[in-house]
Amino acid sequence: MSMVSAEQRPRLKRRWWRREGVQGYLYISPWLLGFLMFGVAPLIAAFMTSLSKANVFRTIRFVGTDNYSKILTDDPVFATIAGNMLIYVIGSTIISIGLGLILALLLFKDFRGNHVFRTLIYVPSLLVGIATAYLFKQVFRGGEVGLANMFLSLFGTEPVNWLGNSEKPWLALVALILVNVWFAGGTMLIFLAGLKGIPASYFEAARVDGAGPWQMFRKVTLPLLSPVIVFNTVMALIGHIQVFETPLAFANSGGVATGNPLGYENSLGTFVTYLYVKGFVYQDMGYASALAFIMFAATLVLTGLVLWLARRFTAYGDADQN
Amino acid sequence: MQDVLDKPRSGDVPPAAPAARTATVRRRRNSRARWELTARIAALSLFCLLLLFPFVWLVSQSLKDTNQYFATPFEWIPSPFRWENFTDVIFKYEFLHYIGNSLWLAVYAVVVNILSSSFVAYGFSRFRFPGRNALFMVVLATMMLPGQVMTISLYRFYREIGWIDTFYPLLIPKLFGAAFEIFLFRQFFLSLPREVDEAARIDGCGTLRTWWHIILPQSKPVIIVVAVFTFLGSWRELFGPLIYLTGEENRTLPLGLLYFTSPFGSSLPMLMAAIVISLIPPVVLYALGQKYIDKGVAIAEIK
Repeated sequence: MSMVSAEQRPRLKRRWWRREGVQGYLYISPWLLGFLMFGVAPLIAAFMTSLSKANVFRTIRFVGTDNYSKILTDDPVFATIAGNMLIYVIGSTIISIGLGLILALLLFKDFRGNHVFRTLIYVPSLLVGIATAYLFKQVFRGGEVGLANMFLSLFGTEPVNWLGNSEKPWLALVALILVNVWFAGGTMLIFLAGLKGIPASYFEAARVDGAGPWQMFRKVTLPLLSPVIVFNTVMALIGHIQVFETPLAFANSGGVATGNPLGYENSLGTFVTYLYVKGFVYQDMGYASALAFIMFAATLVLTGLVLWLARRFTAYGDADQN
Repeated sequence: MQDVLDKPRSGDVPPAAPAARTATVRRRRNSRARWELTARIAALSLFCLLLLFPFVWLVSQSLKDTNQYFATPFEWIPSPFRWENFTDVIFKYEFLHYIGNSLWLAVYAVVVNILSSSFVAYGFSRFRFPGRNALFMVVLATMMLPGQVMTISLYRFYREIGWIDTFYPLLIPKLFGAAFEIFLFRQFFLSLPREVDEAARIDGCGTLRTWWHIILPQSKPVIIVVAVFTFLGSWRELFGPLIYLTGEENRTLPLGLLYFTSPFGSSLPMLMAAIVISLIPPVVLYALGQKYIDKGVAIAEIK
């Protein structure tokens, strides 16, 4: 395009807004405007808010890093939640990535019915939200009525009180992690696309050289799939850190206003539910903003960690990878 | 894509097999492949069974009354079926209203998002301007930002201008395109041949008309993918509506579900029926757009 316009420029005196560069900016201007109004401006405002404290009369007082230091050093609820999140994010990411990869490898073969399996596995991941959260709340219901307990009773296990166990509050977190088994289809589909992107000649060559299935996986599939694994891991981490609907549904009994929205002994508290409670139930915006930034920092640290590990342990064939 | 899948299969029996390879070796190889396939299908079937159980259970429970719901032993096929649960949820529990709100919000999101995101993506894919690549990296980076960071200050701003309990906070930001959708459109536009735009341009077609008459008509697959993803995103969104829509009148379907137990006490079968209702549109939509969605995921994966 630019080549032709360069030829024509001397002949046709072009108006300034017809210039390619200007037009490009005009076309991206909606995004640029939206980014400034709904991204940059609120981000800066949120940072200022996080350094302040507002009382009930909405008079705002600058308090420096008080909110941050209170959250990090003097908030037992946050300490519990940070522990929850660490377990939840690691457990859920292992499920999303491990299960997603296994399913993709199982489906990476042309056989009759492949399509049906792929659809059945993928569709639940599209349904994630408050509806499935309430469904799984019933699945993990205590007593004999819950589906999880019905399943366990096949093996002669006593009914488990999953979501409100006073002796083992951590069971609620286990249930929260297990729900991700149903939503591994999203990562599965991306892994499958990645597997299909590996040139078949690589598998062929390995086979001719006499590689077994395990060697094939270790030496061919895994290294060539590593960019997709990294991508999926980062996306899964980001998604799991922001988990909201399921813990909220699991914790609430009836409407949101009743019961502790963070679950029994805060065992179901996550960053976003805590942020919601602090910011929008107790209206402490300064504290909630600081929580949001801490959550963002945690996201960046975990993402950085994954990228660092990826660089250490995988060999990118950079020439082939796009 | 299909031929990529087929290739490893033809490799099961290497074409240049040395003459020394006897029939027994080949037979052992074949039976091994058959065993492997059986194991594959068995594992997948077991997993799908596990996956489907809660959903079958859900449908079963949504067709019971409260006594049947808690009955032990569990009845997979309810007798009698209580179809009234569905009509009750829709008419007595105001779900018709919630569905209406959710539906028009989702349709609005789809239309506006397709227009705005493809417009921006057209700029990113067909024009050269200083800072283009850096700005596109910014688009991608915004996907990493947790939306909640912005939500708090946006909420305060909307409160100042009186937008709380109106739909504006959910409607207005959509006018400016969404990062993931811009990314999808751009990837797709880059794969379209430029010769067609060139020809249109030489014939005196302006860039705006090129976007509308040349680019968009060629983009049906990505439009469908974006439509499905946008609809699903809007349909299930909880955080925004929960914060911005405080009145009962403006409740969306997810909010209706969240506050479900309020009016008539515990009525779990009704809640299950409401869940079934809210899961139907995504499933139908997926079924309609299915053949494009697999490809769409492939577009998204190319980084």
